[in-house]
Amino acid sequence: MTGPVGGRRIGRARTLAVDVRGAANVVATLLLYLSPAALVPAAVALWYGESPWPFVAATATAAGVGFGAERLTRGEHRIGPREGFLIVAGTWLLAAAFGALPYLLSGEPQLSRPLDAYFEAMSGFTTTGASVLVDIEALSRPLLFWRQFTQWLGGMGIIVLALAVLPRLRVGGRQLLDMELAGPGAEDLSSRIRDTARRLWLLYVGLTAVVFLTLLALGLSGADDEMSLFDALAHALSTAPTGGFSPRQGSIGEFAPVTQWVVAVFLVVGAMNFALLYRALVRRHPGALGRDEEFRLYLFLLGLASAVIVLELFRADLFGAEESIRHGVFQAVSIMTASGFVSTDYEAWPVLATMALVGLMFVGGSAGSTSGSVKVIRHLLLGKILRRELDQTVHPELVQPIRLNGTVVEERTLRAVTSFVLLYIGFFIVGASLLAVDASVNGPELDVLHAVAAAAAALGNVGPAFGVAGPTGSYAPFSDFSTLVLVALMWLGRLELIPVVVLATRHYWRSL
Amino acid sequence: MRIFVVGAGQVGTTIVQALHEEHDVTVFDLDQTRLSPLSYRYDVTTVEANGASRRVLADAGLVRADLLIACTSRDEVNLVAAMIAKGIAPRATTVVRTTNPEYLEVWREGQLDVDFVVSSEEETAHAVTRIIGVPAARQTDVFAEGQVQLVEFDVEDASNTATVGVPLREARLPADSRVVSIIRGDEMQLPRGDAVIRAGDRIVVIGSPQAAQEWSQLISPGARKVQDVVVFGAGRAGTAIARMLVEQGIGVRLIEADEDRARRVARDFQGARVYHATGLDPDFLDRERIGDTQVAIFAMRDDMKNHYAATLAKVHGVNFTVAIVHDTPAMEVFERAGIDVAINPRQVTAEEIVRFAHDPRTEQVSMLDGDRYEVLDITTRPGGEYVGLTFKDMPMRGALIGAIVRDGRAVFPRSDDVLRAGDRAIIFTESSRVGEVERAL
Repeated sequence: MTGPVGGRRIGRARTLAVDVRGAANVVATLLLYLSPAALVPAAVALWYGESPWPFVAATATAAGVGFGAERLTRGEHRIGPREGFLIVAGTWLLAAAFGALPYLLSGEPQLSRPLDAYFEAMSGFTTTGASVLVDIEALSRPLLFWRQFTQWLGGMGIIVLALAVLPRLRVGGRQLLDMELAGPGAEDLSSRIRDTARRLWLLYVGLTAVVFLTLLALGLSGADDEMSLFDALAHALSTAPTGGFSPRQGSIGEFAPVTQWVVAVFLVVGAMNFALLYRALVRRHPGALGRDEEFRLYLFLLGLASAVIVLELFRADLFGAEESIRHGVFQAVSIMTASGFVSTDYEAWPVLATMALVGLMFVGGSAGSTSGSVKVIRHLLLGKILRRELDQTVHPELVQPIRLNGTVVEERTLRAVTSFVLLYIGFFIVGASLLAVDASVNGPELDVLHAVAAAAAALGNVGPAFGVAGPTGSYAPFSDFSTLVLVALMWLGRLELIPVVVLATRHYWRSL
Repeated sequence: MRIFVVGAGQVGTTIVQALHEEHDVTVFDLDQTRLSPLSYRYDVTTVEANGASRRVLADAGLVRADLLIACTSRDEVNLVAAMIAKGIAPRATTVVRTTNPEYLEVWREGQLDVDFVVSSEEETAHAVTRIIGVPAARQTDVFAEGQVQLVEFDVEDASNTATVGVPLREARLPADSRVVSIIRGDEMQLPRGDAVIRAGDRIVVIGSPQAAQEWSQLISPGARKVQDVVVFGAGRAGTAIARMLVEQGIGVRLIEADEDRARRVARDFQGARVYHATGLDPDFLDRERIGDTQVAIFAMRDDMKNHYAATLAKVHGVNFTVAIVHDTPAMEVFERAGIDVAINPRQVTAEEIVRFAHDPRTEQVSMLDGDRYEVLDITTRPGGEYVGLTFKDMPMRGALIGAIVRDGRAVFPRSDDVLRAGDRAIIFTESSRVGEVERAL
């Protein structure tokens, strides 16, 4: 019997199959790159003659932590698709922590508890628009600006931004982009991932600029006396990403009807597929819009929901004709695009209108947009899957590929859509149950609709719900446990479940 | 004409059969066993060598050739042979047979330096759609941009007393049409007014498309416009047929036994419903109500499978069956077995190719019953033997004019009309007399 050559032995079993150090290194790098973002509100603070230090300190802390962690985790890394999940999930958790720093450092009493500040920051980055603030206008201007700015940063995606403007990440960017961009089918605009990310951000910046100038024009022309320079900028920063934060207590409701219409139109644009928008606007193929199945269904659902709500409002005789139409359409748009702006208190609306709004929380905008929730494309594909299942019940031998805009959708993608929707429903039910049970123990008083709507609004990144967390309410009364549940739902919803949920599986971490 | 034929397979053989009497034919093949029957039966030169070799072609005297037909079963060999021929003899016409529709596409876009490309699949699909257009017909073809239609019918029903059993001049026949041939057993007659159609006859009619439909109703009353077709086999031929039918607005179901291919076809081809099934399973046929379909087309690779599946479909109640038959001798088996139409892709391909070897005045050729009869579309020249005669005075020498095209319009002549020089005559004749007819006109 001969022994192994060179005295080699069978090595120790390596059970951890994920390069956690490597992932941590990338996350630290991303945090370092994100840290200067707080310098923008510092500039705003200087402009308004307030203290920039909370923001500068936040930047310094994040940069220090990022730099230090990056140094500590340097070395040979094996970063592949597996590590991508960890990177995306980790980056967003840390980004929210970074976002919470200015709130804590500024000494604002409403956000003095770390969990509340974290909630506000997570709600900002995930463009949810839910708030624990009771008196929004009590915040200083720079802090209000930072709230809006987190929404704008999170809208197109932190990592997409990193891919677009920063030096090369040492990771294959495509998968990260796919994970962070909303929905399947957000096509590539270029063969190079960096160019794609750049084009998306360019379009996003362009859209924001157009919203800002339009709102500013409304203010300057006297069409809306309420609209100041600060309001125009703040609302542009939360309209383009369909975010929903407003520095005003009464949200968009404080502004003139014309402003509400303008915001509604830009929300509809913001929840469109940016790749499609790019082709329609920049490459001048407006015909692409009409041919896109998702876009057609998106408009159809928007129209249908608006019509239902407007008719209900007419029937209930709550408002005059103009107001019924305006509030009906605005609220339908705001909830479906997962924005969460409020034009009026919809708490007391008739039952069908309420149901329509809750239903819209599960629709969402288009793939590749800044909106949240399930996304129209998944509803479209799910409908096609169901129709095929029915067809195949009768014709078992029928071979029927599912097409989207004439192209066959791979079975893998279809399975992913089905699993996503099932997971989404699962998390929604668990979330709503946890909120309801916790509320019955620790308060506040929640009825079924309130618990359901709060969970749906957090998971769908919509924002305001009904009851305590309704259009005029706040998430402040929720207990710490419920707040944590809501934070988790927002995080899960923004990353579209899979990259986070996969971390909870045994086979993610181990090679056997 | 000096004609080079590369490939002595079924297509090549059919071509040689059709061309050997009139032309000087040289056949190339690597397989001596294919060449010797040809040299034994026909007066042709055979060369046992690679027809895609420049040296071989040059040595055989390609410089003086007028036409090169590359019809091996391998597309690339055919293309190379044709391209080499273009280099050696730029004046020669090159015809290439292909089984790949993509080459046809490339050629249509002018990207292939070949004069003509003939695709077996496309020709087969054309043949099928022509048949389905006239449901009672065994075979049909169109001339003069669709203004004139050729139809071949089997007269089965003796009860139709308006047509059967009465002299033609007394029978009530559709206007704008002419019976150009009555085939009874092995005998063919060119009918005059006193001829009588009997049950069991096979007749050839030339007429307007409208008349063709009327004839179809007359021969097989109750046949309707086709809307629902089932195609068995989603190979190249089956897919080509399905595509052409879908383009005509006909609903098509495609049945394919191979799962991968079924998926691929379903992916690439949006118009048809695709089933992954063998087509030999009675439960499947029953569940999908295949028996209720108007036409079932069998385009699987295996003749025997087609035969079995077609018979099974008949058992399940399919009225009209069309089979793609790859082996020429099997044609008769299919027809005996009660399959309504058997189409041989190689034969339709050969027919299409043969027309390139005709008198340049001949616009089109259509072959009937294998290659025994032909219908030509030929322009009459001044001084032709028949020019200036009325139709009733025209001598019958194994040919009959069914229609003429005058100034671009189809005319179905009466007995005292006169044939003028420059008319295009759609004329039926025996294949052996094509040369004679071409000279007489």
